[in-house]
Amino acid sequence: MLTKLTGGIVYDPANKVNGKKKDIYIKDGKIVNKPRNVEPDKEYNITGKVVMAGAIDLHTHIGGGKGNIARMLMPENHRIDAVAHTGIKRAGTGHAMPSTFITGYRYAEMGYTAAFEPAVLPVNARQAHMEMGDVPMLDKGGYVLMGSDDYFLRMMTANKDQQAINDYVAWTLRAAQGIGIKVVNPGGISAFKFNQRQLDLDEKNKHYNVTPRDILKSLATAVKELGIKHPLHVHGSNLGVPGNTQTTLDSIAGVEGLPMHLTHIQFHSYGTEGDFKFSSGAAQIAESINKNKNISVDVGQIMFGQTVTASGDNMRQYANHGFANPNKWVCMDIECDAGCGLVPFKYRDQNFVNALQWTIGLEIFLLVKDPWRIFLTTDHPNGAPFSSYPHLIRLLMDKSFRNDMLSSIHPEAQKMSTLGTIDREYTMQEIAILTRAGAAKITGLVGRGSLGKDSWADITVYTENENREKMFEKPDYVFKDGEMVVKDGEVVKTVWGTTHVVRPEYDKSVEKDLKQYFDKYLTMKIGNFAISDDEITEDGRGSLTVHPTVGEKV
Amino acid sequence: MSALTFTMKKRLDQRVDMSPLVCNLLEGLTPKEIAGIELQNGKRKIRVDELFRIKGDDTQNIVIEGSFAKLDFIGKQLAGGNITVHGDVGAYLGLEMKSGSIKVEGNAGIYAACEMKNGYLEIKGNTGDLLAAALPGNKQGMKGGTVLVKGNVGERAGDHMRRGTLLIEGNAGDYCGSRMVAGTIAVMGTTGRYLGYAMRRGTLLLWNQPQLSATFNDCGSHTLAFLPILFASFKNLNSKFAKESARFNRVQRYGGDMAETGRGEVLVKI
Repeated sequence: MLTKLTGGIVYDPANKVNGKKKDIYIKDGKIVNKPRNVEPDKEYNITGKVVMAGAIDLHTHIGGGKGNIARMLMPENHRIDAVAHTGIKRAGTGHAMPSTFITGYRYAEMGYTAAFEPAVLPVNARQAHMEMGDVPMLDKGGYVLMGSDDYFLRMMTANKDQQAINDYVAWTLRAAQGIGIKVVNPGGISAFKFNQRQLDLDEKNKHYNVTPRDILKSLATAVKELGIKHPLHVHGSNLGVPGNTQTTLDSIAGVEGLPMHLTHIQFHSYGTEGDFKFSSGAAQIAESINKNKNISVDVGQIMFGQTVTASGDNMRQYANHGFANPNKWVCMDIECDAGCGLVPFKYRDQNFVNALQWTIGLEIFLLVKDPWRIFLTTDHPNGAPFSSYPHLIRLLMDKSFRNDMLSSIHPEAQKMSTLGTIDREYTMQEIAILTRAGAAKITGLVGRGSLGKDSWADITVYTENENREKMFEKPDYVFKDGEMVVKDGEVVKTVWGTTHVVRPEYDKSVEKDLKQYFDKYLTMKIGNFAISDDEITEDGRGSLTVHPTVGEKV
Repeated sequence: MSALTFTMKKRLDQRVDMSPLVCNLLEGLTPKEIAGIELQNGKRKIRVDELFRIKGDDTQNIVIEGSFAKLDFIGKQLAGGNITVHGDVGAYLGLEMKSGSIKVEGNAGIYAACEMKNGYLEIKGNTGDLLAAALPGNKQGMKGGTVLVKGNVGERAGDHMRRGTLLIEGNAGDYCGSRMVAGTIAVMGTTGRYLGYAMRRGTLLLWNQPQLSATFNDCGSHTLAFLPILFASFKNLNSKFAKESARFNRVQRYGGDMAETGRGEVLVKI
């Protein structure tokens, strides 16, 4: 079956196509060159419409235990957003933490075709994959959370050599079926359990005598040496603490040039100037990102309104529980593997801190020059639900709209912010880089985020509209692996994406020590810990796609 | 003008969401327009005139005849006007009601007067669990107004209650006044186990000695001058609470729940 998309204006940064009129041919789920002497079986006339690859969200909390805790914690947030079933779609509830099906539908209806869960706790990875297995429409994958687990910290205390750590990291990645390694408040989640309430970059975890700096360096080295394409995904120390700009700059210096992805950087870019001792560190952070080519970031923009913050960082979540709105929260340990904290938040534009957070995120977006190293996220649901992305895109692409919004927030925050003086507007091509080509590249995906020959046909078609929010919230068509799945912003066919993983090699003898450790301390045996491929694929709708490590042939 | 009367034609198998039929939403509508309103009935919709015979035109005085226990959400967010129900009602009677009055001749299901804000609600029969409580996950239940129940009430009456008065002529089930934030609950009959479980503030006024948890402290017997004033405020009610013989001012006082902030009180008639 040959499908032709005729006359679209194509934005495909992966292949350096910038707004060129171009026909696209799809055969067997992939994009092909124009075949000779073959008439298309199906043709879509999309003359003048904007064509991009399917969008990819590289940091969104869509799987794992914390989602369910958030759902249980906030039934009132579900009651206000009940979604009825249709002939095609299942029913569910939405807003801050939508049900799995609604998550998939809403992403697809905005033109997204892939989303990555950034905090898969190894001990909870099975649940995370099962939950993502219930998210339709999207490809998915997870970053495996390490760095506060007892086994790793014991290795650090015992000064195990880097090779041993590499083997353990690779084994864990394989067991939890991930595509990258994540670290959250390095060592801090563990330190919280030993009654430390904060942990600076060079402060020692009291029990293990290890500093966050050691952990960052050790894990970043492991990721590099194992050839995992996605850099170490770092939720840094001191999230949300005024003055954490310095911590972030020190962390960047601390990895000594190793690749590192700093996630939700907005929450890590705060200064202590001004009457309220809270200010923007965006300029310094952006300058450092511009200078250090090994660093990539996603923003974690906040948007005003009700949401729930969900994080493995129990230390910082506990510190912020006083801000819970509505006033209820959960913090818990997850089997000595990591932590979990949920605090409902209502970001308000007339609150000085919230308003400044909003400007800080936007400042970072606009001050970081290289669009290939910055990504569009709200750290769903922490900064805002993912459904606010079209609004965010408009803020980036439309200066006058941005300034109108700026003039409506807390007046002191307006005075403190440099946002109004920044003239930059994102171009269509830059948005395509942030949300497609760049995201595919940084997560190490082959054949995604691109409209070149042999890429999978994940394609989104929009109608050009000066109001970018309107444009991006309702694509005309979305194709997933060559099939039309969304028409006029409505799902017309339910499909199931693949799970992206990466599998660096490691010394199998690592399991010998681990087996003893599991037998002695953990709640499950090592044989049950690792997730087999069957568990993801046996329901008939899930599948696995293994991506190459650095230097490996496709 | 005569009261707008809905007389039940048939008893359906599936539950009916009655929330569109409140005075404030029907104001200014003709009987014909009202007949065409669609009600959610299980997974399908049903027209009002399919379910009811409609008589009268005073939308501010609504009467429901032949009601039964599958009519949910009667008087939801009622803002002014009167609703009288002959027969039983289902769940969520008077949910988030703002003002006006609702009188039910029969029994009510669970979550009657849930998160009620103000107004008057009277139930002749019994009610189910979670009378005047908060919706699941919400932090505050009934926030104002008066509820009078002539029969018995189920478990967790006044759960998370914040303000207002709950008058129960019959018996209350277990966990009466649980997690109460403030307000007044009076029970003439007996109460069950775990009375005032985790209550923070508020008053439980009882005619019979309850079985109290260890986290309530006996504060001795008192003559309280506010009790006659409280009783005087009930004198216009069609209730045993209005009777001269029901009044007293001498009580045994218990403070609790000490497992919470412990500023609530249980007052027992002596």
